Amino acid sequence: MAAVSSEGTEADSDGGSEELVLTPAQLIRSLEQAWLNEKFAPELLESKPEIVECVVEQLDHMEANLKRAKRGDLKVSVHRMEIERIRYVLSSYLRCRLVKIEKFFPHVLEKEKSRAEGEPSILSPEEFAFAKEYMANTETYLKNVALKHMPPNLQKVSLLKSVPKPNLDSFVFLRVLERQENILVEPETDEQREYTIDLEEGSQHLIRYKTIAPLVASGAVQLI
Amino acid sequence: MAGERAAELVRELHRAAGGHLPPFRAEGLRQTLEEMRVLYERNQADVSEAKSGRTDLIFLVRFRHCCLLRNQRCILAYLYDRLLRIRALRWEYGSVLPNTIQFHMSAEEVEWFNRYKKSLATYMRSVGGEEGLDLTQDIKPPKSLYIEVRCLRDYGEFEIDDGTTILLKKNSQHFLPRWKCEQLIRQGVLEHILS
Amino acid sequence: MSEAYFPVGPGLGLEENFLSLDDILMSQEKLPGRAESTLPPLTFALGQGVSTGDSIPEGSKLEIPLWLAKGLYESKRRIISVELPKIYKEAWRTVFSADASVVDLHKMGPYYYRFGSQLLNFDNPENPEIAQTILQTFISRFRRIMDSSQNAYNEDASALVARLDELERALFRAGQKELNDFQCWEKGQASQITASSLVQNYGKRKFTDMDG
Repeated sequence: MAAVSSEGTEADSDGGSEELVLTPAQLIRSLEQAWLNEKFAPELLESKPEIVECVVEQLDHMEANLKRAKRGDLKVSVHRMEIERIRYVLSSYLRCRLVKIEKFFPHVLEKEKSRAEGEPSILSPEEFAFAKEYMANTETYLKNVALKHMPPNLQKVSLLKSVPKPNLDSFVFLRVLERQENILVEPETDEQREYTIDLEEGSQHLIRYKTIAPLVASGAVQLI
Repeated sequence: MAGERAAELVRELHRAAGGHLPPFRAEGLRQTLEEMRVLYERNQADVSEAKSGRTDLIFLVRFRHCCLLRNQRCILAYLYDRLLRIRALRWEYGSVLPNTIQFHMSAEEVEWFNRYKKSLATYMRSVGGEEGLDLTQDIKPPKSLYIEVRCLRDYGEFEIDDGTTILLKKNSQHFLPRWKCEQLIRQGVLEHILS
Repeated sequence: MSEAYFPVGPGLGLEENFLSLDDILMSQEKLPGRAESTLPPLTFALGQGVSTGDSIPEGSKLEIPLWLAKGLYESKRRIISVELPKIYKEAWRTVFSADASVVDLHKMGPYYYRFGSQLLNFDNPENPEIAQTILQTFISRFRRIMDSSQNAYNEDASALVARLDELERALFRAGQKELNDFQCWEKGQASQITASSLVQNYGKRKFTDMDG
């Protein structure tokens, strides 16, 4: 995975360089993409710590600039508004992730546990800490208030089995960013057979999330 | 019927619509746990009888076991759904809950809430630069920096961004930075007036 | 509706969600059954309707909650057999296929779809027909529910809603909320920050407490 940096104002992504340098505008666009995907995907997506970190830096940078600016300068309120907008998108994105982490915590932690070395994590280190605490807090609570007072054979309950999984069969709207060929679509009825489709760049579709989940992860499609 | 008390806990909670938190039913919970104890004890006795030949008891044992599982499920679903409601309070009300709400919570629920608050605060401090990022703010997309608000009750002095303080008196109107007053609006102290 | 309260929803199809209040209440609903052999006294367990200390003779009719029927069904020895509730039987299936929109599903249900899907857990030769009827009923009623949820803004829709099953009510409410949000947005009120619905509820109570 290439590192993202908000330093520099020009995009200079010469093919050989490891570090992908984004302009502030590109950075905000990638935040917005991550935000919309997260809002519409039924499961928790891969975390984007680089984007979050850079946006935070960018906000700090803008704040600092504002402090230096003269009072009453019209530019100040325009910049202030820009900061408010970016902060809203960032907050909304992180909030949406927290909601999913709380909703699916046993599954999210299980997925993290079984993650192979080198595979990208779905949780940032801070989110991972939060999820573990949420799990421990909830387990302790249920044990102390109810389970330990129950008959011995009923004192254990698997939260992994009790808390529902994300429904990957749900439908999502998407826009195609990079043309895709031969996407396998599962049959909807007994009479149908599986078939393949091509996704043209710029076209929009309503489809089961499961079918295109890898394309969301790779950035080839954008959920809308 | 066995399982009836447990179902009543669930029914009452389900009736409280919109995430509202009704009083914690400690007595209902205690009685359900007691019912489970009795069911289990009778089953213990009958299982050994059944093993020594009384096969007619197998049905009864199975039946009681179903009731035990049902009670377990109802209790856990009751407690878990209440946690989800308590969680919502943190997001909509802020970290300090009024007494009227705390009266509806058990001591263990208050403890769960405090730990939740702490984890959330740690998380929010860890993202977003020096001061952290308060994710319970900025719930709606901003349209303007300043908004017009009316004060719904006497609140007292309130510091705004540049260090000046204003007095929030009932029915007074103010033009304030949006991000300073979002929480007071959600708490029902201020009302956002659209021009 | 609190915007930060996300309850565990009901399961899909044959599955129940263990922690879903909706599924627990759905599985409280009863279905008719019969004792296939003499049953031991179930006084403590079954309570009223069964007199103290008496066995239940073979062939007795019983009313069994779904959760219990499912639990007992797992055992090999069928001691209680379950039957279809009348609304899923052939006579009613005919009514549904003629005009599903006239049926008061709340009175007959109120969990018509979820309970019906759950019945498929029991090996009944009529299962394919039951599944088909449930699906067709939903399809033929959906259009009207969606239309009225989009038109009933600020109008009294209680007569229609009164006849809807729980799943349909949830859809109706979702449609209304959507419409409401859209109209707010059209009027430029979407950016208005409002007091939390939880706060509004508790707030009222608090002020009356203070008065007292």
